[in-house]
Amino acid sequence: MSDDRAMIAGEPHDDFSVDEALAMDAALGALGREELRAAERRMRSDPAFRTLVENWQATLAPLADDIAPLAPPPAVWDAIMADIAPAPVLRTAAAARPSLWNSLALWRGLALAGGAAAAVALLPLAGPAPAVAPMLVATLAATDGTALVAAAYDPARGAVVLAPAGHRDDPGKSAELWAIEGTAPPRSLGVIEVDHANAHLLTKARLAGLKPGVTLAISIEPLGGSPTGLPTGPVVATGTLKAV
Amino acid sequence: MSGAAELTALLVKAADGDQVSFRELYDRTSAKLFGIIARILVERGEAEDVLQEVYVTVWRKAAEFDPARASPITWLATIARNRAIDRFRARAVRPSSPLDEAAEVRDEAPSADVLIDAGRDAVRVQTALAELDPRHAAVIRSAYFDGLTYEALSMREGVPVGTLKSWVRRGLIRMKAGLT
Repeated sequence: MSDDRAMIAGEPHDDFSVDEALAMDAALGALGREELRAAERRMRSDPAFRTLVENWQATLAPLADDIAPLAPPPAVWDAIMADIAPAPVLRTAAAARPSLWNSLALWRGLALAGGAAAAVALLPLAGPAPAVAPMLVATLAATDGTALVAAAYDPARGAVVLAPAGHRDDPGKSAELWAIEGTAPPRSLGVIEVDHANAHLLTKARLAGLKPGVTLAISIEPLGGSPTGLPTGPVVATGTLKAV
Repeated sequence: MSGAAELTALLVKAADGDQVSFRELYDRTSAKLFGIIARILVERGEAEDVLQEVYVTVWRKAAEFDPARASPITWLATIARNRAIDRFRARAVRPSSPLDEAAEVRDEAPSADVLIDAGRDAVRVQTALAELDPRHAAVIRSAYFDGLTYEALSMREGVPVGTLKSWVRRGLIRMKAGLT
């Protein structure tokens, strides 16, 4: 096996293999661009080599703890959402039932009445359900009647679209959307953005059960959403889903 | 640590298309990844572009994450480092990189207060690095933190590339041995 021992770059007596040396180089990233790309390609085709590189990546990873964290500006998240949001839209567009997007004008009008900025799409993972059911809309308003968010739910497509209508700024907090069905405890529909355009994907399970008469509510929760699964902060807006 | 289990759960949900979990993953990891990227690229706008690319990649490849092969933070940080280094290498050769930057030799050893904040594994790695010849440890740190190539490091140190590679590789082997 000594053939395998490194005659690397004029250092004949190192006690490790050529592959081990390349794995270290790749994990450290100290090679040129083409060499690094070649190493990445080899990782995809050579599991043993991939394991070597991953072991070195894991060994070196704690070094990154010494780099001071740096908060990125909010625009980066918006750009990420802009990049990833179109994918599910295209997927459901293949089903070609022109309902939700054609109906945008309807509830966008609602939102604009409250001074809306932008539309927010909540799209489910699953494809459209076959049944044709009426679209549901709700305007979520504060107790003084000030509209905060206009919501539209299209059961046929399983998609909820939200349009911020008012403005809230709750630094260090998250707004969470809830569905309240009868006397059952509020059910979380996830953390939403109410201050700027954003998109969320809701799982099918979360969308199930939305029907006329169900109350939607927004509460202000600790960053990331309620830690308990039930609203813990003030409810800032509510509205009832109506069929249109 | 339980943080790893939580990040793994968020990645699994993100792989399932759950954008709420993806947002939480972003909130919990983006500052670390942005720190890594900005350290290599320095120029802030470029670092933001790469951070965006990294999370778009994470969203699309979340299903490829395998907790049996890597911790979630290592997986994320590796994507971030690889993207930042690729962008750094792709830059047109210009006076400021990497030679001039390399000429300004920094003391890469972490200060005590940074180490106090770092995890136990980081302390172990830094301790193992500190056992090496200081020049060997310094080039390993420069390669890792600043994304410098063997070429750039060999010029900075005034030694042949082969010698530099040997410092790094033998240093890493010794460092790893010192960890166990």
